[in-house]
Amino acid sequence: MAKKLKVIGTPVPKQDANIRVTGKAVYGHDITLPNMLHGAILRTEHPSAIIQSIDLSEAKKLPGVVCIITADDVDVNNIGYKRDHPILKKGEANCTRDEIAAVAAETKEIAKQALELIKVKYKVRKGIYDANDALKDSAPQINKFISGKFENKNIAETFHYEHGNLEEAKKNSAHIVSRRFTLPRMTHACMATSNVTASFNKVDKKLLMYSSTQVPFLYQRDMAHALKMSPSDIRVIQPIIGGGFGSKLDIHPFEPICALLSMKTGRPVQILFSREEEFIASPIRQPMVIDLTAGVDKKGNFTFREINILKDNGAYTSWGATTPFVIMQSFSSLYKLKACKFNATAVYTNNVFAGSFRGYGNPQATFALERVIDLLADKIGMDKAEIRLLNANEKGEVTGQGLHFDTCGHKECLETVIKKSNYNKKVIAKQDARFKKGIGLASMLHVGGGAKIYRSDGCGTTLKIDPYGYCTIISGSNEIGQGSETVLAMMAAEELGIDLKKIKVINTDTDVKPWDVGVHASRTSFVAGNSLLGAIKILKEKLSKKASELMNSSHSEFDYENGQIVSVKSKDSIALDKVVREMHFSEPNELAIASFFYEPSSKFQDKNFKGNVSGSYAFASQAIEVEVDTYTGNVKVLDIYVAQDVGKVLNPLLLGGQIEGGLLQGVGYALTEELLMHEGKILNPNFHNYKMLTASDIPDIHFFPIETNDKEGPYGAKGVGEAPLIPTAAAIANAVCNALGVEFVELPLTPERVLKAISLSKINNNHHNLISL
Amino acid sequence: MEFTIISPRTRSELLDVIRKEKNFRFGAGCTDLLMELKKKPHANLTVINLSQIKDVQFSGFKKSAKGLRFGAMFTAHKILMNEEIRNNYTALHESAFNLASTQIRQVATVGGNLCTASPSGDIACALVALDATCELLSTSGKSRNVIISDFFTGVRKTALKKNEVLYGISVPSKSKDTKDVFSNFIKVGTRRSMECSVVSLAYHIQVNKFGEIIKAGIAIGASAPTVRFADSACKYLIGKKYKSISEKEKEEFAKKVLSYASPITDIRATAWYRKEVLFNISKSIFH
Ligand SMILES: Cc1cc2nc3c(=O)[nH]c(=O)nc-3n(C[C@H](O)[C@H](O)[C@H](O)COP(=O)(O)OP(=O)(O)OC[C@H]3O[C@@H](n4cnc5c(N)ncnc54)[C@H](O)[C@@H]3O)c2cc1C
Repeated sequence: MAKKLKVIGTPVPKQDANIRVTGKAVYGHDITLPNMLHGAILRTEHPSAIIQSIDLSEAKKLPGVVCIITADDVDVNNIGYKRDHPILKKGEANCTRDEIAAVAAETKEIAKQALELIKVKYKVRKGIYDANDALKDSAPQINKFISGKFENKNIAETFHYEHGNLEEAKKNSAHIVSRRFTLPRMTHACMATSNVTASFNKVDKKLLMYSSTQVPFLYQRDMAHALKMSPSDIRVIQPIIGGGFGSKLDIHPFEPICALLSMKTGRPVQILFSREEEFIASPIRQPMVIDLTAGVDKKGNFTFREINILKDNGAYTSWGATTPFVIMQSFSSLYKLKACKFNATAVYTNNVFAGSFRGYGNPQATFALERVIDLLADKIGMDKAEIRLLNANEKGEVTGQGLHFDTCGHKECLETVIKKSNYNKKVIAKQDARFKKGIGLASMLHVGGGAKIYRSDGCGTTLKIDPYGYCTIISGSNEIGQGSETVLAMMAAEELGIDLKKIKVINTDTDVKPWDVGVHASRTSFVAGNSLLGAIKILKEKLSKKASELMNSSHSEFDYENGQIVSVKSKDSIALDKVVREMHFSEPNELAIASFFYEPSSKFQDKNFKGNVSGSYAFASQAIEVEVDTYTGNVKVLDIYVAQDVGKVLNPLLLGGQIEGGLLQGVGYALTEELLMHEGKILNPNFHNYKMLTASDIPDIHFFPIETNDKEGPYGAKGVGEAPLIPTAAAIANAVCNALGVEFVELPLTPERVLKAISLSKINNNHHNLISL
Repeated sequence: MEFTIISPRTRSELLDVIRKEKNFRFGAGCTDLLMELKKKPHANLTVINLSQIKDVQFSGFKKSAKGLRFGAMFTAHKILMNEEIRNNYTALHESAFNLASTQIRQVATVGGNLCTASPSGDIACALVALDATCELLSTSGKSRNVIISDFFTGVRKTALKKNEVLYGISVPSKSKDTKDVFSNFIKVGTRRSMECSVVSLAYHIQVNKFGEIIKAGIAIGASAPTVRFADSACKYLIGKKYKSISEKEKEEFAKKVLSYASPITDIRATAWYRKEVLFNISKSIFH
C-alpha cells in the first residue's frame, strides 16, 4: 500500500519567496564585478538596407569608451538553430534588431552616448514584410546563410506529417469546414529585461558568463561554437532569473557580443536591455496563418483534419521555427482522429524573428482547432459540449502519431468544466441589449513528461547529506521562477524525513551541476523530480545499510521521518545525522552521496514525426464566460473554469500560481496583446501601447485539478507549466462568438476588432448604422 | 535624461525661482514630465520641483458655499479619498478612480493633469464638464482666473504664460434649484488600469424637483486636439426630463456630442472606432 504523503501535496510556499519580495534576490542586473565595463549595442536604423560604411572615429574619441567592435573585428561563427544568424551584421541589415556595432565603456551613459556618435551609411532597400511576398520568384533571397535545401530560396524550414486515409475520411464526412486563421506577434515581456555579464580571463583563456539562459548546457555548447572555443572553457552561472517563458531558449546575439567585448578588453562587461530594447530585440510568439479544413461524420465523430501553416520566420531561424513539432501533435491527436495531413512552412522575411514561448505553437493550433470544432458542431446541429465529449481522448489510446496516452484525463476535464460552469444553461441564455454574455469551451493536449527533441531529454542529480543532517540537491535543471526548487526540496523532505529548512538546492553552475537539457516543455518537476527520486533511492540504500549496522539488527526496512531513521519492524530509531557521521568518520569512510541520471521512456520521433515523444501527456479543458460591451467592443472575462490533468498535485500553491499566471497570459493573447509592426519596425515597444493586462483585469478563476496518477511521473505528476495558457484564447474566442453570433478568425479580439465585427453584422442585417465604414 | 532640480519651500521662494530661471519646467508628480524628458531630452534643463512647497492653498482642499477649491498640487489619490467629491462631484471622483494605478495616483496631481494638456487627460475631462475655473499665479504675486475650456489652447498647449504657475482650481457648487445631480465619467480603453483613454466622456447634469434638466456639463476626451465642452449638446438637454428622454432624443443628443469630435487614427484606435464609441456612450448616459 502506498505510504501516506506528508509533504507532497501540501501548500508549501515558494522557498525563495522571501528573498524575492524583500528585494534581496540577486538578478543579473544586480551583478557588479571588479573593473566591469558596460556594453551597449547599435542596431540598424532600417529593417532592410545595405550597410555602406560604418564610421567609428568620433565614438572612439569619446573619453570612457574602451572598445568598439563591428563584424570586421571578430572571428566568429553564426548562431541560431540553423546557424543562419550572424552575431554582428556585415554588409547588410535584414531586421530591425540587427546588431551593427557594440561598445564597451566605463559607464552605461558613456556607452549610450558613443552609440550616437557612430555614423552608419545605409542604402535603404524595400524589404519583404509578408511571408507570401517572400515566396514569389521575384523576391530577393533574404537570408544568405542557408540555401539549396528547399524549393524556394526564402524557405527556412518545412514540416510534413500525415496519418490515416485522408481521401476516405473526407468521403465519410457529413460536413466539412474550412477556415483561415491569423495569429499575432506576442512578446514575453519578462519582468527582468535581458541581461548578461561576461568575464573573460586573458590568462587562462576561460570565459565566465552570468546568463539568464533556460538551457545552460546547450548555451555553453552554442556559445563555444559561436566564439570558436571549447564548451567546457565556458562556465555558465545563472543568477536569479526574472522571467523566462521560453524567451531564453535560444542564445541571442547580445550574449556572444558581450563575451567578445570582454575578450577584447580583458575586463568583465555587462549588457542590460532597456525596456524598449526588450520589446524590440527579444523573441516573440510566432505569427502564423493557419488554413484548417476539418470534417465530421453524421454522428459527430471527427473524420479528418488538413492543415497548411505559413509561418513568418523573420530574418533568422530560432527554435521558434520548430514549433510545428508541437502544433502537429494537437492537430493529429487532440480528440480522436482518423486522418490528418499537416504541412508547415517557415518563410524568411525582414520582420523580427520569433523564439519559443510558453505553449510552443500550441495556443495558435488550439485556437484554430477549437474554433473549427464549434463550427462543425453548428453544422451538424450538435451541442458544442456533446461533440467534444464524444470525441475526447481516452486512456490507453495510441494516436495516429504514435502518442501513448497511458493516463488521460481529457473527458474528466471536459465534464468538470461543463458541469462547474453550468455551461449547458449559459450557452443558450437570454441576452441583454448592450452587454452580451457568452460562454466558450476548449481543450488542449500538451507534453507532460518532457519532450525528446534533443538526443537526451534527461536530467542528472547529485545528492549529499552532510554530517549535520542537512541535504544538498545538486540538480542539472534550474529555476526560472516556476518553483521547481521548492518541489525538489519537498520531494527530498518527503523521502528523507529532513526538515525543508535543512534542504538546499544548487542548480546554477555548469561547472558543478550534472547534465540537463534545460527548462522547457513543462518538464522540470517531471524529469528533475524523477532524477532526484532516483538519487534518493540510492542514497537511502546506503543510509539504511549503515543504520542497520549501527542498530545491530538485520532489519532492512526503514522509515525516514523527523530526522530519524526508524526501523519499520522494531520501531528502533537512530538520528539521520548520526548515521551520516558514522558513514563519514568511521571505517570504511564512505560519503553520504549519490548520483542518478534519469532519462524518460520517451522516444525520439522518426523522420515522419511519429513516435511517443513524451513520458506522459497533459490534458486540460477550460470553460470561459465573457461579457461583451456592444457599445465599445470591450470583452470582459467574467469567470474561467479550468480542469487540468496534472497527474498528481505536488504543491497546490505553486500549481495555482502556474494556472493563474498562464491563464492571464492566455487572456492577454486572446484580447489585448499584439506587437504591432509596420514595414519591419515595431510600433509599440512599450507597456503603454503593448497592452499587457494588469491585476485589475484578472477574472474569477475556478481551478479543478484532475489527478490521473501517471506511473511515469514523480508521485504520478505530469508537467503543468504551459497547459493553462494553451486553450484560453480558443475558449474566449468561442465565448465571444457565442455572445455575439459573429465569427472571429483573428487574434487578439481588441475592442476595435470586436466593434467592427458587430457593426458589420448589423450592416449585413440591414440595421441602421450611423457611421459608415 | 539629465537635469538640475530646484526645490523651493514656500510660495515666495517659488516665485523667486521662476523669475530667475530661464530654461525650466515645473515638476509636480512628474508622471508626465519624466516620460516626456525620456523621449526628448532637453539640454541644460532645470526642473522646479513643486512638491516640497508648504502652502495649503497650493495643495489643500476647501469647500465653501460657492463650491470647491483645491490647489494644483492636490493629488489624484486625494480626490479619490475626498467624500465631498465622491458624493457630489462623481464625475471628478470617477476620473481619478480611472487614472493609471494606485501607485501613480499617489503622486499624480490635478495641476499636472491640466498643464500637460493632453486630449486624453481624465481629470481634465471631468473638470471641463464641471465648468471649473483655473487660477494662474504670476511672478508679480497676482493671480488671474481662466475658465477651464479657455485654459486648453491646443494639443499640449495651455493659456499659461512663461511667468505663471497653475495655482488652484475651483468648481462651482450646484445651482440653488437643483434637486438631483447625475454625474459620471466614462473611460473607454483596453485594460482596466494603467490605461490612457481611447475615448472618454464626463457628464454632470443637474435636475430640478420636476426632473427637468436645468444645467448640463458634457465634456469629451481623446476625441479632438483638446478636451472639449460639448456646448450644443448641453443646451439641447435643458428643459428635458432626464429620466424620460426618448431613444430619438438620445440619438440626437449623441449626434450633437459627436459634432465636437475630430479624432485621429493612431496605434491605439482608428478615428472610426473613437466616433462610433463616443456616439454609443453618449446615448448611454440616460437611465
Ligand atoms: C503609467 C502612467 C499611466 C497614466 N495613466 C493616466 C490616466 O489613466 N489618465 C490620465 O489622465 N493620465 C494618466 N497618466 C498621465 C499623468 O499621470 C497624469 O496626467 C497626471 O495627472 C500628471 O500629474 P503630475 O503631477 O505627475 O504631472 P507632472 O508630470 O509633474 O507635470 C505634467 C506637466 O505639467 C506641468 N505642471 C505640473 N504642475 C504644474 C503647475 N502647478 N503649474 C504649471 N505647470 C505645471 C509640468 O511642467 C509638466 O509639463 C499616466 C501616466 C503614467 C506614467
